[in-house]
Amino acid sequence: MLNMNADALGIIFPNSYDTLVPELARERLMASIPFASRYRVVDFMLSSMVNGGIDNVSLIVKQNYHSLMDHLGSGREWDLTRKNGGLNLVPPFSDRETKLYSGRVDALSSMIPFLKRQKEKYVVMTDANIAVNFDFKDLLAKHVESGADVTIAYTNEGLPQDLIDLEADNNSLYYTLKLKEDRVAEIVVNSKDKGIQNLSMNIYVMERTLLIEQISEAYLKGGVYYERDILMNQLDKLDIRGYCFEGYVARLTSLRSYFAESMKLLEEENVEALFGPSTIYTKIRDDNPTRYTNNSKVKRIMAADGCVIEGEVENCILFRGVKIGKGAKVKNCVLMQDTVVEEGAKVEYVITDKSVCISADRALKGTDTFPVYVEKNKRV
Amino acid sequence: MAKEMIAMLLAGGQGSRLYALTQKLAKPAVPFGGKYRIIDFPLSNCVNSGIDTVGILTQYQPLVLNEYIGNGQPWDLDRLYGGVHVLPPYQSAKGSDWYKGTANAIYQNISFIERYQPQYVIILSGDQICKQDYSDFLKFHKEKGAEFSVAVMEVPWDEASRFGLMVADENDKITEFQEKPKNPKSNLASMGIYIFNWDVLKKYLEEDEANPKSSNDFGNDIIPNLLKDGREMYAYHFNGYWKDVGTISSLWEANMEVLDPEHSGINLFDEDWKIYSRNSGMTGHRIGEDAKVIDSMITDGCRIEGSVKRSILFAGVKVEKGAVVEDAVVMGGSTIGAGAVVKHCIVAENVVIEEGAKVGAAPTEKEKGVATVGSNVTIGKNAKIGPNAMVSESVKEGEKVC
Repeated sequence: MLNMNADALGIIFPNSYDTLVPELARERLMASIPFASRYRVVDFMLSSMVNGGIDNVSLIVKQNYHSLMDHLGSGREWDLTRKNGGLNLVPPFSDRETKLYSGRVDALSSMIPFLKRQKEKYVVMTDANIAVNFDFKDLLAKHVESGADVTIAYTNEGLPQDLIDLEADNNSLYYTLKLKEDRVAEIVVNSKDKGIQNLSMNIYVMERTLLIEQISEAYLKGGVYYERDILMNQLDKLDIRGYCFEGYVARLTSLRSYFAESMKLLEEENVEALFGPSTIYTKIRDDNPTRYTNNSKVKRIMAADGCVIEGEVENCILFRGVKIGKGAKVKNCVLMQDTVVEEGAKVEYVITDKSVCISADRALKGTDTFPVYVEKNKRV
Repeated sequence: MAKEMIAMLLAGGQGSRLYALTQKLAKPAVPFGGKYRIIDFPLSNCVNSGIDTVGILTQYQPLVLNEYIGNGQPWDLDRLYGGVHVLPPYQSAKGSDWYKGTANAIYQNISFIERYQPQYVIILSGDQICKQDYSDFLKFHKEKGAEFSVAVMEVPWDEASRFGLMVADENDKITEFQEKPKNPKSNLASMGIYIFNWDVLKKYLEEDEANPKSSNDFGNDIIPNLLKDGREMYAYHFNGYWKDVGTISSLWEANMEVLDPEHSGINLFDEDWKIYSRNSGMTGHRIGEDAKVIDSMITDGCRIEGSVKRSILFAGVKVEKGAVVEDAVVMGGSTIGAGAVVKHCIVAENVVIEEGAKVGAAPTEKEKGVATVGSNVTIGKNAKIGPNAMVSESVKEGEKVC
């Protein structure tokens, strides 16, 4: 058979880092946080995989995944409605005990029979906390070319302050890589070092058979985390390499970083860097185009379809179906789907979740380092 | 399993009066309203009315239309039984033929219709902008015990002679049909939307085909024959928004009316009657620091640095710094260069209007045309396109086209 696709299957962990943005992940999971006016964070990884020729993608969900199921549907918008492969949502499986998985090892252990049945030679494993247009073709090619056992994609950057500030009891782990040429010499968990480092994107490639072997063995020994309990112990035994990703990365590490990463998209060069390389797909809502009336006054915004703008808007990200009433003033805000700002309301440095309403003539103001967040369906 | 009613959508029209816009695509595929194509309206009406089987009769330049319709998924018309089917003329054992007229197009697809054993068939036209509930029309048809009904609109008496007119009694029963008459006896214009009892339609199609003198057209042949035979024919009054967009000026006008739903009555923001379309998949539109946007509709993927007023921009349009876009319809993927002025015109898809060029002008006493630029055309730097021009080939730097 002619094979124009990558010889790899994808696995995404949509719940990773949920605890970093408790506000936005309260009724959803990291993967389904709305981002960039019409997307959910998972769209970026999913589209990147599809664009990289990976058309067999499993999402291992843990909790709060209604929103994700609703968003993904049958996977048609990502061209993942397939007879062979396609989209595969893996809910928690509780044959032995009703315990939710806490790391990749126990999550994957329930998938081993599935993994054994697949035909792809390689596995690509990622989280869904980064909005990125990632070239999986290149990653796979480099992995094969180098002959490495495992390749880890990383960015070369200073650690986000949110990660450094993580409390010891937060179970979100992040990893930095110390490299000797391309080889990973050391993996550091929750480094507190400042300055430029190799921060893992938690994107991994390895052969499917190797992954099955690693998981089976680690599960028996009570391992939880793939990095801490498997890779860190195999640095000598296996050829583990780093792959430096130099493209645009929006990593969500807190509500504040969500706000900052959103605002960065008001710079056109960032939009081009994030959306330029290849199409990012998302669920279609069939909204009409956005309407600006006679009284509208807009400056520096990114807006999806379906909005009606009758007031003043500056420095904002508007999701689908946002309505801004006459005389309303909205500045430095991220307004999610179907938010309504009624006539004369004044809003500044605010993040509204879906279907929030700001009543007429009310004022709501946060600051650039501390945006006010309004929960889904609430009326201010 | 029989279907109560299926739809046959006439989409073969060349739309010769839209010349520059329809050189490479059929009229129903002409873009409209920021993110739609004309055919999205009848298709969405079908789905919203509960009709899940639609045959689309194509003939002229079907490539874009075929690709656009695909398996019908954007309209929820990818069904196990029924759904949307594109029906081009085909070759059969008896020979092959182009569709000779609207009635002949349906005649050639009798076997398609019979697969669904419908009681009723609704004939739709692919060149109108209209939001209409066909289920209400069918209810009327049944209540009247009609064999044929036609949707009609009241038009101003002084314009009536431009239309095919139905003369009806107080019970809406049609007594006479006048095709573009000098002395109209009625102001009820046919919208070209018909419901037939299938057995009646089939009989008349077969008789019409057997008549070598017939022009095989609904208006010229089938309807007069029904009248002659005293069939039960009724006129269904429709009073929503309806527009035949057969000319550049009516297409432009209909687009402008979308900008003013409060007065024009064409509301695309209707949650209960969505118009579906194949989406561009582009990211949200961006409006820059020095941009000015009022009274306009902007679609995903647009990037605006200039000034936009009373205009409709389709997906992925770029308006560079200092450019002025006014009273314009700019279709997908086009670029308006820095300092260019684009007024009172239709710019088709993937057009590049280079720096400083001028396209169209606000209407004056002397000149009041809608300038039209065909798809994939480049208008060179500082070129000038007059308000009555229709451009379908690239224009060089500094050139003038009137």
